[in-house]
Amino acid sequence: MKIKIDGREIECEKNKTILDICDENSIEIPKLCLIEDLKPEARCRLCIVEMNGKLATSCSIYPNEGCNILTDSQKVIKARKINMELLMAGHIRNCAVNGESNELCRLLDKLKIERIRFEPIRKYKQDLSESVIRDDNKCINCGKCIRACGEIMEVYAIDFAGKGHNEHVSPYSGHRLHDVACIKCGQCIAACPVGAIYEREHLYEVIKALKNKKKHVVVQTAPAIRAAIGEEFNMPAGSLVTGKMVAALRRCGFDRIFDTPLGADMTIMEEASEFLERVKKNGLFPMITTCCPSWIKFMEHFEHELIPNMSTCKSPHEMLGILTKTYYAEKSGINKKDIVVVSVMPCVAKKFESTRPELKSAVDYAITTREAAKIIRYFKIDFRNLPGEDFDNPLGIATGAGVMFGASGGVMEAALRTAYEFAANKPLKKLEFNQIRGMEGIKEGSIALNGKKINYAVAHGGKNIRRLLERKDKYHFIEMMACPGGCIGGGGQPLPLTKEILQKRMNAIYEEDSRLPIRKSHENPIVRTIYKEYLEHPLSKKAEKILHTRYYKRSEF
Amino acid sequence: MEEKEFLLSVLRKEQKNKRYISEDALKRISKKTDIPISRIYGAATFYSMLHEQKQAKNIIYVCDGPSCHVNNSKNITAYLKKKLNKSRKFSLHTASCIGCCDEAPAMLLNGNAYTKLTKEKIDEIIKKCKS
Amino acid sequence: MQILRKTELKAFKKAKRLGASGIIKILKQKGLVGRGGAAFPTGTKWEFALNTKANEKFVICNADEGEPGTFKDKFIIKYNPEALVEGILIAAYTIKARQAFIYLRGEYSYLENHLKRVVSKVLRKAKSSLKIGIIVGAGAYVCGEETAVIESIEGFRGQPYYKPPYPPTQGLYGEPTIINNVETFANVPQAILFNDWDKELRLYSLSGNLTNPGIYELPVGYSLAELIGLGKPKNKIKAVYFGCFGGCIPYSDIKLTPENVCGKNCAVGAFTIIAVDEKQSILDIAENIAKFYEHESCGKCTPCREGTKRICDIIRKIKSGKAGKDDLADLKELAENIQETSLCGLGQTATNHLLTALQYFKKEFEERIK
Repeated sequence: MKIKIDGREIECEKNKTILDICDENSIEIPKLCLIEDLKPEARCRLCIVEMNGKLATSCSIYPNEGCNILTDSQKVIKARKINMELLMAGHIRNCAVNGESNELCRLLDKLKIERIRFEPIRKYKQDLSESVIRDDNKCINCGKCIRACGEIMEVYAIDFAGKGHNEHVSPYSGHRLHDVACIKCGQCIAACPVGAIYEREHLYEVIKALKNKKKHVVVQTAPAIRAAIGEEFNMPAGSLVTGKMVAALRRCGFDRIFDTPLGADMTIMEEASEFLERVKKNGLFPMITTCCPSWIKFMEHFEHELIPNMSTCKSPHEMLGILTKTYYAEKSGINKKDIVVVSVMPCVAKKFESTRPELKSAVDYAITTREAAKIIRYFKIDFRNLPGEDFDNPLGIATGAGVMFGASGGVMEAALRTAYEFAANKPLKKLEFNQIRGMEGIKEGSIALNGKKINYAVAHGGKNIRRLLERKDKYHFIEMMACPGGCIGGGGQPLPLTKEILQKRMNAIYEEDSRLPIRKSHENPIVRTIYKEYLEHPLSKKAEKILHTRYYKRSEF
Repeated sequence: MEEKEFLLSVLRKEQKNKRYISEDALKRISKKTDIPISRIYGAATFYSMLHEQKQAKNIIYVCDGPSCHVNNSKNITAYLKKKLNKSRKFSLHTASCIGCCDEAPAMLLNGNAYTKLTKEKIDEIIKKCKS
Repeated sequence: MQILRKTELKAFKKAKRLGASGIIKILKQKGLVGRGGAAFPTGTKWEFALNTKANEKFVICNADEGEPGTFKDKFIIKYNPEALVEGILIAAYTIKARQAFIYLRGEYSYLENHLKRVVSKVLRKAKSSLKIGIIVGAGAYVCGEETAVIESIEGFRGQPYYKPPYPPTQGLYGEPTIINNVETFANVPQAILFNDWDKELRLYSLSGNLTNPGIYELPVGYSLAELIGLGKPKNKIKAVYFGCFGGCIPYSDIKLTPENVCGKNCAVGAFTIIAVDEKQSILDIAENIAKFYEHESCGKCTPCREGTKRICDIIRKIKSGKAGKDDLADLKELAENIQETSLCGLGQTATNHLLTALQYFKKEFEERIK
């Protein structure tokens, strides 16, 4: 049908909102509270347009034939400016001081606001914790964090409380996020357009360690980082920047740069062996992966009867961390007390994970992709023009299987590649398991292992996790990732996290897998060496001691 | 659906019986209704007649609507505040218009409306209540 | 009084004979419009709900009478609740709803038992299988808005959501829902049953600085001066507020029709008249009403959540004598923005009182400006 926007006649489809139509026709309309794929709430009132003389929000209106819409009339501009002023009145502005850039402050420039007549009022205490920090004084009540936690993750840890001007985001009864059933996935951080929620940063500690000549600082990078960190330096989404990433970290002063996918390969060795043991015993099914600490916390709060189903394997970076402080320390002769292990993770939950008492974490600091970019910028390194460099020995070779951990479906695919060859004692004809790749919420398939039909499934995002759990008994092996998309969509990754960007990052991960010379975990020479020289074989006593862990029941509140 | 299944009714009952919505109540209601606790807390803190702090045995909502305002509700409110200042038996709140505009000034005491208030009338009402 | 006429289920019997389309036809013919303030034709509203295909439909009676100065629904609940229940029965019959709700404001909880008794009595007499649940609110003016009632019943915070879609097509639990005011439902059986039902009669809620306030049943277009006369003021009346949402005008002999009142930048709404005498300060009343909106704003949308608070701050500044000309200009600009960009009726009418006070009683504000 035809409608008129700013005097132009525009041809458009019927079931689209004015905002969608404007987006399609490159007409810019400011918006703050809209979330991709979810029903709009029209809270922020910034996307105002003039329709037939009256002001209305473009995100919520489906125009009729012949509608006359103005997106930049005097009335519209004035309304947007005042609403923007009112939004800023609810947002303590120390962003300029911290050099933070967030959506709200960027909009401020775009809308050319000259003065803000209303002073913000600081009336809330900051909510501090190990992973996620909330500062309600910056919150503009857009509700995106709540919808991410509720409609996307189905955790519902937070909601609005109070009324009117006292409306604020809260778990319940004034508790900190740390004390309630929050899985620390960080999707709320990713959703927040004003930086009112952010990860607890460890920049100071890491830089201090780097400057301390007595410390041997080792950094390891998760596979999801290499597909995304380029975006922090204005490279297009999904640029695979492995070499530059290593070069940048080296120039920051890290003594060794190891590859977390190697830890992932170790995880596969242990987990595939664990799974085959269960198959042999016709044991407890489904077995569920445990490399996602958010999923583990989710399970501990809401589904703790699944504890016996879980694999006891630690997550890859913890495995690599402990190997760094044992195997590597012994081999290199460095005192493990002087080794500082820093993990660059796409994940905010890893910060929490490293504080779990039973884990006795070998990782000193888990930092997010965004923090790593900040460190690189701190040392004034020109990321884009770096040459590609390689990881360090002895823990620097990884397989395509390990790298795939970054994408939803990757852990399962890596595990199957190894489990199949262990069980069948012959190579897989086709290495790619396309049915569990991609952004589909729940993916599944089946494979024959030693004559037995094994059903496997993969879910990512809280909503899909819950749906899959409803029919979990159909499967023998399940991979769960809390963040939509898997780790590439983690709460610590460069923002924003749109479906388009996640798909591009996923493509980069699978591209890396196809490029790498070794694509199966058990063929990794370093993995073989570690077992030969140090751990004997998967699930050995020593392996159980340092590479496995346990889980607990937690309250659903 | 039975009335007791509506969250608002459940919260009102809890407020009436226990005189506030405690954290334990939130957990109990969440377990029973499968509604996320954050949402229950959000609903409980939205309404003026549901309280997070425990209220005294007697709750007064004195009307501050415009009809009562132009009929000197300010004096009534001030008098009540002074009189019940140190009282542990009364919780005093101001409320938006309670709908007794033709009998202003007015207040609600334990859910019942008392209208055409004067200082003397208030003295009588409070005395009756205390006994 | 017309509103107190008993229909004793005879209208329900007649309605069943007429059938759904007959009921809607007669309501349209008789010209019944909503009496909650929006004056939407009742027959048309019910027709939308009837024509929307769904497995389950609902009827909600909005008894969350919260507009300051309004107490006519209380009057009906006290003195002719049977008509109200019969109206709900007829509505439910029309759209084949099996469940209805009466959302009674928390401040009227002392009427709950009385209403419950009447409901069971009428349902028994009508031999109806309709379930009428009484849900008592807990103190939120915004829950008078129809989408907020729906959210509140569904167990969420009582925050309105944007329309369209409107409740008759998509309401409670996403199903077609008829939501009408108490006075509207009470008039349904009377309009259907009585040939001499006068559609122009309304219940005026009269209060303020009067010695004879109360509910007066008078036609639309009654003279304001005569109405005030009925209220027997002691002192000269300076201004009249149409509730809080309708704005204020100086005392005059205006005929209270929607058009005339609209012409003065006000809204007659549900015919609430608060008479203010010359001893009162308009600035004081402005502060009182601004505080009301600040407290009752639900917090969802930016202009109302932040704006109502800032309005309060500026008015206080003016009262304290510290405000300048800029503040007055800011006040007007802010008030207009809240009016034009808020999500729901509360925000859209929250500053009418102020804009009309600034228009007609500017001196009272200006004399405090330095």
